[in-house]
Amino acid sequence: MKQDHAGKRGHAVKEDHAALADTFNKDEARVNWHDETLWWIRQKRDKAAHTIPEWELLRETASRIKDNVLSNLGGYLEQFEAAATANGVTVHWAADAAEHNAIVLSLLRRHGVDKMVKSKSMLTEECHLNEFLKEQGIEVIDTDLGERVVQLAEEPPSHIVLPCIHKKKEEIGEIFHEHLGTPAGNADPQFLTHAARLHLREKFLTRRAALTGVNFAVAETGEFVVCTNEGNADMGAHLADVHIACMGIEKIVPRREHLGVFLRLLTRSATGQPITTYSSHFKKPRLGKEMHIVLVDNGRSVHLGRKEFRNSLKCIRCAACFNTCPVYRRSGGHSYHTAVAGPIGSILAPNLDREKYADLPFASTLCGSCSNVCPVKIDIHEQLYKWRQVLVQSGHAPLGKKAAMKTMTWVLSNPSVYRGAGKMGRWFMLNAPFTVNNGMNPWYKQRDMPPVPKQSFGEWYKKNKK
Amino acid sequence: MKTVKGNQPEWRELPEIPAGGVGGVGSGGDGGVPGDGPVSGDALAEVFVKTLEAIGGSAYVVSGFDRIATILRELYPRVGRVVTGCPELEGFGELARSYADPHELEDVGLAVLGAHFGVAENGACWITEDRMIERALPFIAQNLVLVIKKKDVVANMHVAYERIGGMDGGYGFATFIAGPSKTADIEQSLVLGAHGPRSMTVFLVDEEMSDAGFY
Amino acid sequence: MRVGLFIPCYVDQFYPQVGIATLELLEKFGCEVVYPSNQTCCGQPMANSGFEHLTKGCNDLFIKNFEEFDYIVSPSGSCVLHIKDHLHSEGVGVEAGGGGDHGVAGTEGGRGTTIPKKIYELVEFMTDVLRVDAIDASFPFKVGIHQSCHGQRGLKLAQMSELMAAPFSKPERLLKMVKGIELIPLSRQDECCGFGGTFCVAEEAVSVKMGKDRVADHLHHGAEYITGSDMSCLMHMEGILHRQKSRVQVRHIAEILNSRL
Repeated sequence: MKQDHAGKRGHAVKEDHAALADTFNKDEARVNWHDETLWWIRQKRDKAAHTIPEWELLRETASRIKDNVLSNLGGYLEQFEAAATANGVTVHWAADAAEHNAIVLSLLRRHGVDKMVKSKSMLTEECHLNEFLKEQGIEVIDTDLGERVVQLAEEPPSHIVLPCIHKKKEEIGEIFHEHLGTPAGNADPQFLTHAARLHLREKFLTRRAALTGVNFAVAETGEFVVCTNEGNADMGAHLADVHIACMGIEKIVPRREHLGVFLRLLTRSATGQPITTYSSHFKKPRLGKEMHIVLVDNGRSVHLGRKEFRNSLKCIRCAACFNTCPVYRRSGGHSYHTAVAGPIGSILAPNLDREKYADLPFASTLCGSCSNVCPVKIDIHEQLYKWRQVLVQSGHAPLGKKAAMKTMTWVLSNPSVYRGAGKMGRWFMLNAPFTVNNGMNPWYKQRDMPPVPKQSFGEWYKKNKK
Repeated sequence: MKTVKGNQPEWRELPEIPAGGVGGVGSGGDGGVPGDGPVSGDALAEVFVKTLEAIGGSAYVVSGFDRIATILRELYPRVGRVVTGCPELEGFGELARSYADPHELEDVGLAVLGAHFGVAENGACWITEDRMIERALPFIAQNLVLVIKKKDVVANMHVAYERIGGMDGGYGFATFIAGPSKTADIEQSLVLGAHGPRSMTVFLVDEEMSDAGFY
Repeated sequence: MRVGLFIPCYVDQFYPQVGIATLELLEKFGCEVVYPSNQTCCGQPMANSGFEHLTKGCNDLFIKNFEEFDYIVSPSGSCVLHIKDHLHSEGVGVEAGGGGDHGVAGTEGGRGTTIPKKIYELVEFMTDVLRVDAIDASFPFKVGIHQSCHGQRGLKLAQMSELMAAPFSKPERLLKMVKGIELIPLSRQDECCGFGGTFCVAEEAVSVKMGKDRVADHLHHGAEYITGSDMSCLMHMEGILHRQKSRVQVRHIAEILNSRL
């Protein structure tokens, strides 16, 4: 089942979150399935957190380590570059997505590579690397099982940790039948995973270049850590001649010992597991082989300067906020039409393109659950509120809303107007309900209007108390 | 870079890292063995075993390498090519040397390697490059076995990194391995054996144990 | 103790009985309650939609109406939280009138307001200030508590399920004092109902789905009434209940705490 409106990789999106979420909600049973699956993952996170009595202290510690990192990001990046270079790793700097893509391309060309394996990297999604390389004639195979599924389905991932959480196993079975030749109708996860294992093993063994993401980069030692459950990052990197690691500049941690805090929090927050199967520490290239790391800015340094929003740079990409968000669970990642969806995506994306992502900070009830599960204590719900103010001030609110708000302000600043309007509204609802109970009223679509009392509280008080 | 330095907020102090307890399956009560008192090595090993089993791995406490060989013969009667980095197991498997090309290891059915220590709270083992012989080996083998000393189980990741800091930090590559490779990408159904090994076993060698399994 | 009664705009217009119950409750517990008749709204609908910069008129009106009281109490968690977090007077004090646009919010150059420190939602006022430990009320029905997000996570009316911390609930504690009441458990203790302000119409599909799921949770556990501290949440769920022709009703917590057989 292909997602055709918002789903295709690299295509411009015409619809906003509300419209896409509306479409998503047409299939209520599916929404229930999606919602319950992700809620279950939130519960697994809770269970895992309960096993650590010092959980809240760990969150506070991680938050303060990241605060320290942001306050000395320049210094730590320089320290990292020096240490990594001394280890034999080549460090590249990319100011934006275009530079990043160009650097990766030039490394591949230099080695005469036209086929590459890639493990999960949300940064490369952000830079649209796959599409770019494809246009240059380079085949990229995403090796994370979930990513491979969406790659074959020609869709972007809908979740940064569980890329195909929106797909049912029957759909995955169809995709594998079409592309891997598995028997039609087979939807057994064990069987399908094994088929993917064989299919991707052949890629690992034959590709000479591997690209991975970076979970954490240690300034002190120049090493970086890649966490996977599948082992695909390692299978790619240790068999390739060239290992390219791509990271956003905010992924730095000061010292190796700080990894202990983050590794205790990361996977428990993400999936409820105590740790990923593999937490691989890459320090030096293999003898005779090359290891490169590309440090990418793409708007992060600008965001760093924004007092109200810089906390979003503390993110360790665990997706706990996605799993707890009642809106995300009922609208799906594709409704956000951006690489990183969910609550954190809604405060990061407007930094990349205000026009395109102005709808995202409004795709929330500001319930605050996200901020509570965030392992590094990003004040997500507060930033959503602040982004709303910024976007309206910079002219990104729809005109109709602006007019309605101005009217509302006038009414609510003038007590007599307010009382008059209230009385009039109630009169219409009581005596001419069709003026309000109709298809033009979005509230009325699936809800009854509130009952109409004979008098307002103000009127009652005047009569009875004054 | 200039932008980064220009936009940095005011300096914020680094916090101290808490000592932490042992959170994990099977550690009793609400899951935590408190970190303020010394916890016995036996208790840590017990938590390690329970946690590893909960994440799809297996664990055995044994007296020595002879027992390891015996058990492995029973567990993997037809596993094909066996490669080991432990000199004690030379007869059991091919003793790993360095390899010109990691692709040579493509058909390894079972890899048996020595790791440095285990972590009780998550069932992981720390292993550095020198003990892997070839970086690809612990990933490319169809089944993986790691051997540690029973007394080398630490409580949590903070202690683990203290220990790593005390060791020679000169590794070019090292990793924590916790159980077999896995994925739940297909409708959250857990499948063991994604791209890395399909099974993972840890042997905890207890030097005080007799061959017959008693003390 | 002079208490200024702040009644949210939609409660004033659609649910006067909640205002009446709140007033009666406060008087029962010894407060002198005054309802400034020129109040309108806290400004939250504009602010949450990104139009905080338009709320000066509302803010000034609010300060003018309520500055004089010892306490300000309202039967609405979200409105109280909004005032606590976002109310400030700009520049010249309200009394001076005119030309007050230049100053910094509530600090030097302007008369600040003490309101954020003395405004309370009803449940927190009854628990923390009045220290109520007995209520003469009767409500022999099965009741589900809806934990409104702003009251819970913002005003700390109850513990949040995401945090590894000791559980507590101020609304539950008060409700347990009511004779005959049976509080039902829920599958999801503190999931948002989906009202969210203008979200309820701007993202209608998701908003309604969230409301339906909340309602279903209460129905599944046998609720006859759904209660909470925020009429906005209850209004949204009531709209859904009525559309489903359900016999389950909503009641604001003030009404239950003030009820008699």
